[in-house]
Amino acid sequence: MKLAKFTKFREEKFGGVLFETRAEKVFTLNPTATAVVREIQRGSDMPLLLEHLRERFEDRGTLEPEALAFIAELRSQGLLEE
Amino acid sequence: MSQASSSSQAESPPVSQAQSPQAPSPSVSDSAADLDAPLYIAWQLTNECNLACLHCIEESGPGKAFADELDRTQIFAILAQCTSLQVPYLSLSGGEPMLHPLFFEMSAYLCASGTQLKIETNAHCLDAARCERLAELGVKAVQVSLDGATAATYNRMRARGDFAQALAGIRLLRSAGVPVEINFSPTRFNVHEIEAVIDLASELGAYSFYTGRTMYTGNAVKTWHLLAPSEEQYRSFFAALHAKSAQYRGRMRVYFHEQGLLEELRYRLRHPAALLIVLPNGLVKLINALPFVCGDLRHQSLTEVWSHFRRAWADQRVAQFVEQLAADPRRTAALHRWVYL
Repeated sequence: MKLAKFTKFREEKFGGVLFETRAEKVFTLNPTATAVVREIQRGSDMPLLLEHLRERFEDRGTLEPEALAFIAELRSQGLLEE
Repeated sequence: MSQASSSSQAESPPVSQAQSPQAPSPSVSDSAADLDAPLYIAWQLTNECNLACLHCIEESGPGKAFADELDRTQIFAILAQCTSLQVPYLSLSGGEPMLHPLFFEMSAYLCASGTQLKIETNAHCLDAARCERLAELGVKAVQVSLDGATAATYNRMRARGDFAQALAGIRLLRSAGVPVEINFSPTRFNVHEIEAVIDLASELGAYSFYTGRTMYTGNAVKTWHLLAPSEEQYRSFFAALHAKSAQYRGRMRVYFHEQGLLEELRYRLRHPAALLIVLPNGLVKLINALPFVCGDLRHQSLTEVWSHFRRAWADQRVAQFVEQLAADPRRTAALHRWVYL
């Protein structure tokens, strides 16, 4: 799993942005979403990604399903590739 | 630079239109105003052009380079700031950017730094070796202006241009594996060819097609009586675009802006694009469709210009100009009389 060829990621004070340069669409990300994308960029697999998220954010049992849903959304938007 | 460009017209794709995939927690920023740096720089590298198009927004043409265009040191100082601030996307246009002596050196620098690069060209300066070079560099796309499906219309619009040469250039790009976008500016004498030119773009292997309304500015001010499509022509034009967009869905993106300039600018007042327009002399415009200059990269850093850009959109003179356009749409004739904010 990695960012798609035409997707650029930049960290910002508020979190981050994904810029899909073919469709010229911008997606703004909060800190948690930014952390997910950062892990994807680092090449972390899902267990490692979740481990790092739990180290950084409080988990009330929703972190994993929300992270999975977010990743599925990134895929559906064409922002991720295998 | 042609009209209805994908990157530097008011009618461009909404670079600032923030969208947010469902995030693991509910707080999502929705404003480009919060960004630390621009997301997109549309750099008009030179005003020199080998063609003299009837509608050129920049009044480019042979011998039309600015006397004070940026030199090598200034250009690479700006590029270094772009990469240092991680500007993800940059386009090089003109005039004809491929006439600039540093065109390939700049392109190589940007591509090597990971910046996604788009070239906006009339495709008359392309040969097999240059297309191979663009492919090797990994440019994101080359956008070619193709304002007609026949030599009769294209050559009329693009004085000194040659339809066959433009097509040959596009074919060379595709043979080399360079992604191609096509740009079309409507006029009263080419608007009827919109369906044919979209089909042609697809046959040529383009992945995107852009168009919108032609603006009353630049060379078009002098040639408006030859260019301006009627409202009836525009109705047929946009109806055809809706149909073609559906026909090519999933194969080639047909992207068009139906709304007029005034609506677009009113939207931009509320949602400024994270886009800087850099002129050949380093001045930075707020947006191409307004006369306002908000910085000078010869004397200010990119960070300073970006900071001022965000404040400048709130300047009352900008909103006033936009509302004056409602009463007098022909005020766009004076976009080259720059107003410094």
